[in-house]
Amino acid sequence: MFERMRPPSLRAARAAALLVASGALHASAQVAELDLRTTAFLEPSSASKLTVLTPLLSLAVSPTDWLSVSAGYEADIVSGATEAVKAGPLSQGVVDVVSSATSFSDERHIAHGGLRITRKNTHLAAAYSYGTESDYRSNAISVSAGTDFLQKNTQIELSYARGFDRVCTSEFAETLAPSARTALDSSQGCFSDGDERDTRDVDLDNYQVAWTQTWTPVFATQVVATGALQHGFLENPYRSVVITPTGLEALENHPDNRFRTALAVRGRYYLRPIKTAFGLGVRGYRDSWDLLSMTYELEAERYLFPWLRVLARGRFYSQTGALFWSDDYTGGEPELGPRGQYWTGDRELSPLQSYMLGGRVLASWQGRPGDRVLGAFLKLSAGFSLDVVKTNLQEFTWAGQDPDDTWVFLGSLGANAEF
Amino acid sequence: MQVLRKTLLCSALLGVLGAGCATVRPEQRAVLADPVMQFDDQASEDEAVQHALDNREGSYGGGSVQGGGCGCN
Repeated sequence: MFERMRPPSLRAARAAALLVASGALHASAQVAELDLRTTAFLEPSSASKLTVLTPLLSLAVSPTDWLSVSAGYEADIVSGATEAVKAGPLSQGVVDVVSSATSFSDERHIAHGGLRITRKNTHLAAAYSYGTESDYRSNAISVSAGTDFLQKNTQIELSYARGFDRVCTSEFAETLAPSARTALDSSQGCFSDGDERDTRDVDLDNYQVAWTQTWTPVFATQVVATGALQHGFLENPYRSVVITPTGLEALENHPDNRFRTALAVRGRYYLRPIKTAFGLGVRGYRDSWDLLSMTYELEAERYLFPWLRVLARGRFYSQTGALFWSDDYTGGEPELGPRGQYWTGDRELSPLQSYMLGGRVLASWQGRPGDRVLGAFLKLSAGFSLDVVKTNLQEFTWAGQDPDDTWVFLGSLGANAEF
Repeated sequence: MQVLRKTLLCSALLGVLGAGCATVRPEQRAVLADPVMQFDDQASEDEAVQHALDNREGSYGGGSVQGGGCGCN
């Protein structure tokens, strides 16, 4: 259920790309880098709490100074409960949405690998990832190329990722009216020729251009433009929406295509008098479902000791609803209008704001030339982070009741070793 | 909307032209090379946070890219 609207291909492709990038950043002959991390996502709620544990292991090896090869594994271990039916205030008393919350647990496993070739001023990278869970399969490839010029003050990177995913759904013919389609009740029988089960494609194309620029000895900026095209079954196969005053439920129905664009500008400035690095970021986003958002991020990081640094960060996010978003579809929307053709129970398509506050503590040690940390490592670091996210849902309700799962606690514990 | 587009285009053009004038010599990059000045220095941790946010918001993309002002590779 977790990330149902966010097919994991692109995430896995990015993870693989990060892995090779990370390895290549430290590329030197016969160096290996091991990264271990566990992240805990906790969303408390009286009826639909959610817990996700994400362990991650990655290894990058640089057999020569121009080549880095990497491989990794991560998992999402999900447990909790979720409401299976979305209804609006007009259905209060007709549908008991909150008591329809059902418990579930699932696991996602993602394996990825890649390589990166680094020359004097350029690099090329390619990565592949495969993800599997009870109701979803993902395959993704990604390629990227980058170059430095103007005395290495300017870096440009182009990247492309392609995902080929399959999602399990209930069995229905494409010609069946969307209002007659039913939601999955469980993942049992998925990908195993189970009765009343089918699979549908989700294709993903992701393009990105990044420009990183140093301006002064203490100031650098980065501009990132992203375009992503999703095509296929973009609904949550488990979620029904009440679409008539009598309580008729139908499987969520979204458009088959979604083109998403984002432009982000970030800057980092080091303020010498207080020995602190400040980061500021702004991102604008718009997609073909007419969802617009703005994100503002601010962070500050400094060393407490030569081996220990702390970071504090804050983030504000605001979005409009999708064109076909409505908290209630039973009020007689025109059949050929956006809310007559499509319906959703996805609160991420509703207008909302979110606030995040958090921080990180990171300890790192580097061996002197010819020496090693603890007799084994060229570099060693360990750290933890904690972030709290509060979401304000402007319109979304469960049959008129405000959701109580609007707080997220996110903790992460990680270690990195180079040897 | 057209004014906004023209402003963005001019800003981008000025930025690109300005980039050619910005010269930070290798011996001036001590601060820029420090991990606190790198974009996406803790990539896997940043990715975990972004993963969680992606699941609770309708937006996607524009994420940070590794790199910064070091230019020392």
